[in-house]
Amino acid sequence: MAINKKIRQFFFPSFTPKFLIRVSLVALFAYLFFGYLCIPFTIQGISMEPTYRNGGINFCWRLHTLFSEPKRDDVVTVRFAGSKVMLLKRMVAREGEQVEFRDGGLFIDGQKIEEPYVRYPCHWNLTPRRVEKDCVYVVGDNRSMPIESHHFGQASKSRIMGVPLW
Amino acid sequence: MVKIKYLLIGVLVVIIGIVVAFYFFPNEEKRVKKRFDFLSEWVSKSPDEQTFTMLQKMKNIGTLFDEHCELNAPGQSLSGSYAREEISTYAGSARSHFSQLDLKFYDFHTVFPEKGIAKVTLTGRLAGKSTAGEQVDETRELDCVLKKIENKWLFSEIEIVEVLKK
Repeated sequence: MAINKKIRQFFFPSFTPKFLIRVSLVALFAYLFFGYLCIPFTIQGISMEPTYRNGGINFCWRLHTLFSEPKRDDVVTVRFAGSKVMLLKRMVAREGEQVEFRDGGLFIDGQKIEEPYVRYPCHWNLTPRRVEKDCVYVVGDNRSMPIESHHFGQASKSRIMGVPLW
Repeated sequence: MVKIKYLLIGVLVVIIGIVVAFYFFPNEEKRVKKRFDFLSEWVSKSPDEQTFTMLQKMKNIGTLFDEHCELNAPGQSLSGSYAREEISTYAGSARSHFSQLDLKFYDFHTVFPEKGIAKVTLTGRLAGKSTAGEQVDETRELDCVLKKIENKWLFSEIEIVEVLKK
């Protein structure tokens, strides 16, 4: 009987002031948490395949880059004008480093970088270029398309929003 | 009890008043955003669009622009100053290459540096299908300047911001 009452109370709570305050606090917390700290997003596009599939769901965890700089090989989200639409890319080089692609291989400061996450064949060639101050170089994991069709390059650090939760 | 009833009715009337004022007397920011809503509506195209609708939309697109509008798209042949009619014709010609188009805008940041001028930074996403069956999905950050001429906000400058620089 008491359990029945508790279940009923859970699904059909009485609108007491205490209950309304509790609901308001939960709503406020959810708004701040999912709006600014852990932003949900759906992946649209194939530029990060096979690591992240088109249609996947994830969360952008902002605290990771708020207190520390992203490291090489970190997957990051890059914002446009805001956080509604972002790019999901892998950071491959930091400021001051020289980036180059030779027959599909990534070279940083002339050293070939092993990239186990790149699973599809790639034949890109890109002349060496140095990453500017306060910028990072980001590329997708799927480099099977022609280099002109892939959206990659150096982005300002201020555009890095966070990292995906998984 | 009666007092509380009147108080609640008073609060309700005030809320309705605010909503009505907000809806029927939009501020300048809302007026500017409305121009983007029109642009989005008129550039977008459904697969079964009739010729009359297409011509009407082409004509309408021109009305959103100043007599001369500056377009700046780094690395693309679009850059330059275009007359309103040229933009209308160009938009019509570009639309004809697609069987379906969907233009959407996100993350508006609007400032009014001086009277009659609005600067808007936003994200634009164009998705669709070309007549050859190719899928198109392009996202860009845009810096737009709109001028208020004869009580209408008209696009006078559009610049594509380079978020990733190869």
